[in-house]
Amino acid sequence: MKTDDLLLMAYVDGELAPNECREIEEHIRACADAAEIVALLRASRLDYKQAFATQKLPPVPDSLTQKIEAMARAHSNKSAAEGANDSSIPTPVAIAAAPVRSRMRSVPTWLAAACVAGAFCGGLFLRLGPLLKTGAPGSGSAVMASAGNLSPWVATAVGYQQLYTRETLAYVEDNPHVSSKTVEDIRRDDGLALRIPDLRSAGLTFKTVQRLRFNNKPLVQIVYQPEKGPPIALCVMKDVKPDQAVAAQVVDSMHVVTWRQAELSYALIGKTEGVDLDALGKRISNREVDQLFSNATSVSMAQAG
Amino acid sequence: MNGADLPGMLPDMLPRLWAFALRISGDRHDAEDLVQRACVRALERAHQLQPDTSPLSWMFSIVHSTWINELRARSVRKRSSMEWDDDFLENLADPLDKGPETQLMHSQIISAVERLPEAQRVVMLLVAVEGLSYQEAAEVLEVPIGTVMSRLSRARQAVGALFSTHDPKAKASVTRRDSIA
Repeated sequence: MKTDDLLLMAYVDGELAPNECREIEEHIRACADAAEIVALLRASRLDYKQAFATQKLPPVPDSLTQKIEAMARAHSNKSAAEGANDSSIPTPVAIAAAPVRSRMRSVPTWLAAACVAGAFCGGLFLRLGPLLKTGAPGSGSAVMASAGNLSPWVATAVGYQQLYTRETLAYVEDNPHVSSKTVEDIRRDDGLALRIPDLRSAGLTFKTVQRLRFNNKPLVQIVYQPEKGPPIALCVMKDVKPDQAVAAQVVDSMHVVTWRQAELSYALIGKTEGVDLDALGKRISNREVDQLFSNATSVSMAQAG
Repeated sequence: MNGADLPGMLPDMLPRLWAFALRISGDRHDAEDLVQRACVRALERAHQLQPDTSPLSWMFSIVHSTWINELRARSVRKRSSMEWDDDFLENLADPLDKGPETQLMHSQIISAVERLPEAQRVVMLLVAVEGLSYQEAAEVLEVPIGTVMSRLSRARQAVGALFSTHDPKAKASVTRRDSIA
């Protein structure tokens, strides 16, 4: 592209000063190519905005509108509750002209909540309080065998996981230091005796561990990437109740395997494509798999060294 | 204007984000997923929205980069406009308040833009349709402003060629056959 062409475009669009216009006009008289380009550019001065404004597009899907509104509401509520900026987010970096691609940070609670709101077509999220109250009585002893008995936090995690794709993980950098630090913080600050199962034997590669909060309580999401298909998550919450056997169910096309062990509730969630989540849940609960970051500090040190 | 205002603005921006996502992806399911993911990403980093940046062009930027990443992840080249969903777009203008010649002209303009090479088409959508400045379009596309102007010049010359050498009425049938409707 010649600079010439840009000047000619500016000329056609009336963006040049009078003296510059005269120079261009002289140039056009002397150069047939320039004259042709000017003719083409003039012919391209069309009302694009109006033309596209009348283009018939499919309407914005209601489901999308509801999801975005729920997200916006959840974010506004979060901002109102915590102040304008979340101090847990690293120092902002000017982004006006910067690439937006960057590693996904730990997803804040409002986002997890909003995702569920979206998954449930909005509205329900705002009634999570009452839902918790009505859902709680049955969850103490009943084996979760149907979607109707799903714990609210598991429902939240399922909704969140539905939005997770392999592309989501494409922005997550493999960083053992960050994961190690996260696990360490969870064990220390959240008081969860967290194990990160090593599921490579089942074809699942550990990708990330995230600290979320549900109903103001720590919720840990451990994400694994299968060889193909969407990511699989193992979510963990503290739950001071008797142990509960492994139970499987399908919620919104997502396979959900839950159990409770040593005062921790687990939910293994994913669309199973070649991975038997039920069997995997039993192997994890039986401690038949090794664990990663078993000593977060030493792993971190070793990696750093 | 800053990131704290973003949540309140997203619902109002949604129709334009939807239209942009539809036009760049050419698929309504992709567009829905694209807008949703872009909004998640935007809210997650709302604090990065600078006061001197237009929230709309910032959102376009996120929609566009999300789409580019999606294409990379799929390892496919962008489908040409000729391969879009059969039932996706209707080029014909709204017949209610426009004369037939205006409708025809509008559908020809849309068709001409849609037949441009991808990089030029996106620049035309941002600058000529969405009204972004060259600088804003450069920021959305993460390319130098000179690149935006070059692509725009080439795009306009291509469109101009369609409108300067033929009588618009005479090529109506050609346009209709090639259209994505």
